[in-house]
Amino acid sequence: MTNSTLNFEPDRRHFLALGMGAAAGLVLPGAVRAGDGAADIRTLAFDGDTLLAADATLMISPDGGRNWEERPTPAPVASLATHPARPGRILAGLARGRVAMSGDGGATWTTRSDGLASGEVTALAVAAGNPDMIYAAIRGDGLWKSEDAGATWALAMDRPWLDAAERDPLTLASVDLETGMGGIWIYAGTEKGLTRVPDCFCRWQDVQPGDAMDALAAGDAPPAEASLPTDEPVLSLASALTAPSKLYAALPSGVWASQDGGVVWTHKAEGQGRAIALHPRDENHVAAILDGALKLSRDGGATWIALAIA
Amino acid sequence: MRRTATIGAAIVALSAIGFAVLAQSESDEDLVEGLTFLGEPVTAADIEAGQTLYAENCASCHGANLEGQPDWRRRLDNGRMPAPPHDETGHTWHHSDRNLFVVTKGGVGAVVPSYESDMPAFEGILTDDEIADVLSYIKSTWPDRQRQFQAEVTANDRGAP
Repeated sequence: MTNSTLNFEPDRRHFLALGMGAAAGLVLPGAVRAGDGAADIRTLAFDGDTLLAADATLMISPDGGRNWEERPTPAPVASLATHPARPGRILAGLARGRVAMSGDGGATWTTRSDGLASGEVTALAVAAGNPDMIYAAIRGDGLWKSEDAGATWALAMDRPWLDAAERDPLTLASVDLETGMGGIWIYAGTEKGLTRVPDCFCRWQDVQPGDAMDALAAGDAPPAEASLPTDEPVLSLASALTAPSKLYAALPSGVWASQDGGVVWTHKAEGQGRAIALHPRDENHVAAILDGALKLSRDGGATWIALAIA
Repeated sequence: MRRTATIGAAIVALSAIGFAVLAQSESDEDLVEGLTFLGEPVTAADIEAGQTLYAENCASCHGANLEGQPDWRRRLDNGRMPAPPHDETGHTWHHSDRNLFVVTKGGVGAVVPSYESDMPAFEGILTDDEIADVLSYIKSTWPDRQRQFQAEVTANDRGAP
């Protein structure tokens, strides 16, 4: 399905084409039904140039959203993660618990969750610099990590403590910015905003300029000039592998972007944001679910086009 | 009279040099190979003192064998995290010498503003040298891999002296 606007005046040829399309939809159960999918989409990801969108089912578009195919999954999907060093590998956090992995672009799946706590996998992320290091957030439990691409799991850290209570990470992003502790950051979006933890898992902490020691060297961290709205959940995060300081976030108020690792944010698009993903080789190529529709931007969120998942 | 004074001065000078050489010799022999703290060499005496101070000030929370509190990755009812281990199973070896020193002296809030922790600030309880001894003792217990990793983190610490 293209994103172009159609001035549609049906004639005999169009009716014939529509009839054949309807027949194909009945005969081929995997065929995608136009325009009806995006409202339910919960999570997005790029596997190379292939765009992935998932909720109860996994939809795959190899051509930038023009055409879509449905892929079966072991259960409804709550979260997706990929890594450019593992093309064709899709990790799916399942809404009923466990992490499923496909090595063939979603055609077949295995569930690899030894040691992982039960519960909805609200968020998944692959370490930016280590494609076999996987992080999973389990609703009501904590942050888990696997060092063997999801085969075995160990608890890494309890959930972040924000506004006097533990909060579930709703989204995770491995952000390839130095912590000053020999590693990089894992960012999490929660119902109470953005937080982050070094990958040594010493403590969840607010996002502030520089690494954990910079604030000390310079005195208290200066107040952010433009943080994310504090009264909204951060539903989805994406970090640019090609420009780690660049982050995107989907919130109920729309799509937001940061150029400095999450300190200062700019409102890029209005609408009910739900999910967001970045192309692995182009930090300006953004996919988002906004107001129940799939939208793409090729200019870092300045302009958007709507696509039908169908 | 002048001759006697000259001899006396020479004896004093030679004695001072002798003591200095002796002290230097003992210090060199006492150095722990490959272990420094904040750029300064660490001696066996530092580690011994640090071990004693650790037992007196830190072990009640972090464990007599640096093992941390049970289930230390799970939050306490008060929302704070338990005391983590300081051995190789914990995350202490991910932090630079400066970071460890500042956290110990000023509390975790000195590094992460507004962070709530049961870890007290040891400023006024331990001297800077004593804090260094405790941390040198902890570092001395790490296997080579953790010690080398932490040495690299320390070397890359932009704010380090």
